[in-house]
Amino acid sequence: MIIDINFIGLIIASIMASAVPLILASCGELITERSGVLNLGVEGMMIIGAISGFALMTVTGSLIIAVFGAMLAGVLISTIFAFLTQTLITNHVATGLALTIFGIGISAMIGKNFVGIPGKEFPVFFEGLKDTIPLLGPILFGHSIVFYFAFALPFVTSYFLKKTKIGLIVRAVGDSPESASNQGINVKLVRYACILYGGAMSGLAGAYLSMIYTPQWIENMTGGRGWIALALVVFSTWNPIKILIGAMIFGGLTIIQFHMQAIGVRIPVQFLTALPYIVTIIVLVVISRDSRKIRLSTPSSLGKSFHKDN
Amino acid sequence: MNTNLKISNVTKIYPGCIANDNVSLEFNSGKIYALLGENGAGKSTLVKILSGVIIPDEGKIYLNENNLKLNSPLDAKKNDIGMVFQHFNLFETLSVFENLIIDSDEQRESLREKIDTIMKKYNFSIDLDIPILNLSAGQKQKVEIIRCLIRNPKVLIMDEPTSVLTEQETSELFLSLKKFSEEGILIIYITHKLKEVMQLCDEVAVMRRGKLVSVSEIKNENIESLANKMVGQNLKTIKKKKAKTSSDQLIKITNLNFTSEDPFETNLMDINFSVNRGECLGIAGISGNGQSELFQVLSGEIISEKNSIEFNNNYIGDLSPQERREYLMAFSPEDRLEQAAIPQMKIFENVALNNFKSSNFFNNGLINENKIKEHSKKIISDFNVNTDNIELKSQFLSGGNLQKLIIGRELITSPDLLICFNPTWGLDVGAINYIHETLIKINEQNKSIILISTDTDELLKLSDKISVIHKGKLSKIMNAEEVTSEKLGILMGGAN
Repeated sequence: MIIDINFIGLIIASIMASAVPLILASCGELITERSGVLNLGVEGMMIIGAISGFALMTVTGSLIIAVFGAMLAGVLISTIFAFLTQTLITNHVATGLALTIFGIGISAMIGKNFVGIPGKEFPVFFEGLKDTIPLLGPILFGHSIVFYFAFALPFVTSYFLKKTKIGLIVRAVGDSPESASNQGINVKLVRYACILYGGAMSGLAGAYLSMIYTPQWIENMTGGRGWIALALVVFSTWNPIKILIGAMIFGGLTIIQFHMQAIGVRIPVQFLTALPYIVTIIVLVVISRDSRKIRLSTPSSLGKSFHKDN
Repeated sequence: MNTNLKISNVTKIYPGCIANDNVSLEFNSGKIYALLGENGAGKSTLVKILSGVIIPDEGKIYLNENNLKLNSPLDAKKNDIGMVFQHFNLFETLSVFENLIIDSDEQRESLREKIDTIMKKYNFSIDLDIPILNLSAGQKQKVEIIRCLIRNPKVLIMDEPTSVLTEQETSELFLSLKKFSEEGILIIYITHKLKEVMQLCDEVAVMRRGKLVSVSEIKNENIESLANKMVGQNLKTIKKKKAKTSSDQLIKITNLNFTSEDPFETNLMDINFSVNRGECLGIAGISGNGQSELFQVLSGEIISEKNSIEFNNNYIGDLSPQERREYLMAFSPEDRLEQAAIPQMKIFENVALNNFKSSNFFNNGLINENKIKEHSKKIISDFNVNTDNIELKSQFLSGGNLQKLIIGRELITSPDLLICFNPTWGLDVGAINYIHETLIKINEQNKSIILISTDTDELLKLSDKISVIHKGKLSKIMNAEEVTSEKLGILMGGAN
């Protein structure tokens, strides 16, 4: 069997494409969690983003409105979460789970009218350059704007947290909301902003799925990616670069096990399907086991409600 | 320029309690003011109002004749009022520099220069690039002070600053405060420690139950007069009678080691000591030098080698706290609400918690509520817990009452050995007195105590023998009469 080097490039590109929604949702959730808020509603926000993007695209015909509309939908649904957990001081875990259930339900309801409608082609960049460089060509060129954005995001997020004042404030709020409040930082405002940002990124991740990755609407099409994104955040110990690594491993194994199933490798299908989950978690646990670093990067107030008393 | 700060008719009411009742006070720069009072007297509420954390129901604050609107901590900062809180307002996982830059508008480089200048001027030495959680309490406090100084404050408020400091650190702090005062910063010093007021301050305002009781100059006061004003009654001074030396050994620790997997815990190295019946062994040290690990090893929260702890001729190093209790050991941990009691549970439920086997609280797996309630009422009356409602959730008891309840719960089974860790931390004078009396009584009944404490005065008052723990190692064991607080301070700092 002759393997074309560009074929390997294409496989790597497809792995990267499958990692995009995980990276987007994880990096969004990472900012939310760094501010001390545990939002388990990622899956729900993603699927709302997916149906909103697809529906707006079909109705308005505009891809730009669709993409930004999906992000806005993510923001809106996360506003519910923010209002409940930050203003009404409800429990983060229960509220997040409710958000996911709500998101899956309402997306199925809206989506009924959109089943079976074909999607639109999403413009890609540098299509012509694909064949100019062997191997790297298909990896670097011919992708959508969301793809490039997703691969820049972990680095931007890392820079934001480490080097900018606002990033420092987000980390401070996640470390100790009481101290932050006593320092004159508006904890609720910061947490609201981080929750809404997480919502926008989940919405974008959903839109990527329904508009670019598999351009169509299928009920429950996020298929647990939101939960994987959540797990990536925790097992990466809140480190955006490790999220990138984790998402690539997960995406890679998902694609490879499909190919293995297709070739007919004699390993039980169930094991192959479970493989990406197991390996991703093992790898992330192994690369993140420095307990000192864990302590330093874990938001100490994660999941705890903060109520300012007067 | 002179600074004049005026508090005028400030009132703050919480449901069921008047925290500040029409308080008026005036301060002028150049002097150090003490705000003295027991826990719950309202001094913390008052300074939180000054620093914008709490908004008063009534009353006004004037700084140099300007009426200040303090609706948030930011307002206080903008008006040059700096505050160092009792519980540090630091971000443990961020670096020292990140903690300082977070509320500053300056550029990194110029802020670094400014911090370096401040540190040089006042002889502070702190590595700016390590996380806060690697600092000692004294260093953390310096970070807080630097944070205030960066803004060139007119007023600096210190809320119970010495509760976590050693003798040396305290005298260093006092030197700095005097220097600040000479430079024209108005210092307000909140405390319930009378000795410090006499040492440091020029004027003292005493608060009791939300009301201002007196304002006077230090030269007209002494420790007794202040104590009586603070408590509102005459306090008797307690003294321990010299215990008769017994040679009957109760507990012996041999070559005890503990290596933690958590890098932020302290390892215990080669601990050896013994305690005789009727004796109190005090263990001094700056917090974070292995005290909590030592307490956990002694109580059985951390299991060690079987032979390393010999109690009443039994080897018990590998037993759990519950099993150790059956050998008549009792424990009073440091954190009353986290380790000793469960805050959301009622008083009588908490009483039942340490008495699973030896009591008749449970019949065939069912709770015998009447028995427990009877027992709880006995503890409450025997140990002077100021409540008659045993259905009250423990979190609503004051620190002093909760500590009395915990000590009572431990002692009512008349154990041979009580191990306690900072039993009077954060309590007011009345409660401290009561706990101290109780501990002395235990010794008089020929029972023993291991007292791990960061309060040197307490140790000198109660112990027969004293050792100092530093970085997980114990110093040699000294007779209490031969020890002074200065000597302890030196050992606590790690010198020989």
